[in-house]
Order: sequence, then C-alpha cells, then structure tokens
Amino acid sequence: MMVKKRTAKILALRYKIMAAILIMLAGGLVLLPKYEKSEGIPAEQLLSNIISLERYVSSDQISDKLINQDPSFILIDVRDEDSYTKYTLPNAINIPLKNLLDETFESFLNQDQFDVVFFSNDNFYADQAWAICNRLEYKNLHVLKGGINKWFATIINPQEPDENMPSEAFELYTTRKAASMFYGVVYPDQVTSNTPIKITPKQIITVKKKKKTAEGGC
Amino acid sequence: MGPLIPDGTIPMEWDSIIAILIGIVFGFILEASGFSSSRKLAGVFYGYDFAVLKVFFTAAAVSVIGIYYMDYLGYLDITQLYVHPTYIWAAIIGGVIMGIGFVAGGFCPGTSLCAVAIGKLDAWVYVIGIMIGVFLFSELYTFIEPIYNGYFLGNITLIDSFDWNPYWFIFIFAIIAIVAFVASDFIRKRVKKVFY
Repeated sequence: MMVKKRTAKILALRYKIMAAILIMLAGGLVLLPKYEKSEGIPAEQLLSNIISLERYVSSDQISDKLINQDPSFILIDVRDEDSYTKYTLPNAINIPLKNLLDETFESFLNQDQFDVVFFSNDNFYADQAWAICNRLEYKNLHVLKGGINKWFATIINPQEPDENMPSEAFELYTTRKAASMFYGVVYPDQVTSNTPIKITPKQIITVKKKKKTAEGGC
Repeated sequence: MGPLIPDGTIPMEWDSIIAILIGIVFGFILEASGFSSSRKLAGVFYGYDFAVLKVFFTAAAVSVIGIYYMDYLGYLDITQLYVHPTYIWAAIIGGVIMGIGFVAGGFCPGTSLCAVAIGKLDAWVYVIGIMIGVFLFSELYTFIEPIYNGYFLGNITLIDSFDWNPYWFIFIFAIIAIVAFVASDFIRKRVKKVFY
C-alpha cells in the first residue's frame, strides 16, 4: 500500500521529470567542452587517393586530347603569371598556387563536369595544388606527370629513337613529332605555314543541380 | 560513422525499402496516437486539444538534441545531413495555403492518408481536394514557376542565416518547448471541453 502511494506520487510528477530531463540534456550541449573538429577527408582516404593510378596523366594523353579537341578536361597552370604568359599549354587556365583558394577560381576547381589537370614546371607545385584540392573534396583531379619539362622533352622536342630500338619507339616518335607540329614546331624537312592554334579558354558554367530526395511532411 | 546512407554504410539501393518501412511505422504511430481524427488535429486551433503541438515540438526537440549529441560523440556528421532547400516566397505562400487547409479540413496531407486508411469519409473528401489542388498546380505551373523556383536561398538553416550558436539555440528551443507545453495546458483547462 505504501509502495503504491509512493509510485503514484512519483508518477504524478512524470511530466515535470521528463521536462527537467529534456532541459538538462539541452543544457548539457551548451556546457560540453567544445573541440575543433578536423575538416576535410580522412588521412586513409587521402593516402588511397595519392597512390591511385588515376592521379597522373601523361603528356602523351594530354597531347592526344588537345589534338582531338576533347572537351572533357581543363588544364590548370599553377605557376605564377609571368611563367604563364611566357609559355603554357594550349587552352590552359592560370591559377597560381598562392591564389588557389581564391573565390574566383572555385568554379573551375569545384565542379564535376570536367577533369581537372594541374601542371607546373615539374610535378611539384601541381602535386601540392592537387593535395589541397583533394582535402577540399573536389572531384576529378589529376596531375600532368613531369609537368612542362616532360611536355617539352616528349611532345615538343621528342628524342629521335636509335636504329636498334623497337618499332613501338618509332611509332611513338612519329606520333609525338606529328603532335609537335600541331603545336607549331617546324621541322627542317617540313614546309608548313606556322600558324599557332589559338583556342580560347573555356568558361565553366556550373549548373546547380536540384537534389532529388524524399521530401518531409507530416 | 553516420549518416548511414550518404556514407555508404547502407547502399543507396535500400532507400526505397527503408522509406517504406519507416512509412509503415510512422503511419501506425500517427493512427495509434489519434492523429487520424480531424477533430483532434483541429483542436490545436480552437484550444481544446494540443496533441499536435506537443507531438511535433517534442519530436523536434528530442531529435535535435539527439543529433547534436551524436555529432559531438562522432557517431554522426551533421554537415552531411540533407538540409531542405529554402525558396523563401514559395515556402511562405505554401505555408499559408497549407495552414488554411489544415484549419478548414482538419488534416495535414500525411494524417489525411492515415484517416483514409481507417475509412474516414471526411478524409476521402480531403484527399480528393488534394488531388484537385495538385491538378490545378500542374495546369498553372507556367504561371507559378517563377515563384516556385525563385527566391532561392540555398540549403540554409537558422544557424546559417542568423549565425547563431547551435548549442544555445537548442537549449533555448527546449525551454520554449516546455513553456509552450505548460501554456497550452493552461489554455486547455480554460477552454470549454469538447468531446470527440
């Protein structure tokens, strides 16, 4: 009898107790010590992106795409403006590494319509730009392997193969030589009118896609 | 760890199946708590029954507290949760229409289907009304479209637009909820009893 009375007494207070618990839990959120959460992708994910084979593209692949006017990628020159105006790859956009995070360039980097290919004189700065953009979880990032140096060594000024090299080497050389002519290199055995191809850099218009998700309601 | 679907713990293909299961449970609980009665639902506007206010306020307060605790403990990443996009004028106009429909018909779209399921005739009329509304909306879409797709503010929350501290906001929100419960009980005792 006594016990029943006591439980009844407590039960009469049940709404007040529940209200108190709710307030206490909400207050707990305010009182909890705050800590800075790490942003960006986790280290394991970054590592797996770094060792991914898709990360590098070769100068031959890029040359092929440029000649075929493949619209699926954008070249991004991460060197400073001076080097960019002196020489750059056709159609490349200049985003100096120090300006990588500028808002004006975000629409080029943060999109999923084009493959982004970074390049600098070698891999070094391009790799850094790649890593930063990776941390920001941008998509379709690549680095031109060897950068402009490799580009010169392979495409613009290809090494003539020796007589005792396999036939693939000769085929590669012919392709590269033809490619270099495309970019305006004149060989003594060729008579060409040297008109460099001017391609205007493409403007990226990102279309905000409406997410299709289940909508709420009561 | 979470959210489970965007993180890929549960594959996207399960979306519809999970939605159906949640829908069944949601509908069952709506019916079981009397939300298939238009009199009970309309009671909140006339002051004789505040179940609607209490249920939705409690649901919001409890879930937001739970989500923030889970985020704090690292079980859930709040930034990955889906935030409904805000089309400000579409939301205001739609809210007004929905409110009028709620007072006049005594249902909101979800509860009306619940009531249809248990055979309430007024719910049938209400659902036919919804269908007519959907038809009119589709027919007039070209005129309505600028409002429907305009005034887009992005996937924002109160925290984003007013730069509030979420933890304090939740605390104040919880207090407001309790105050609202007490006040609604006070009003209910003053208002003439309605039997339904």
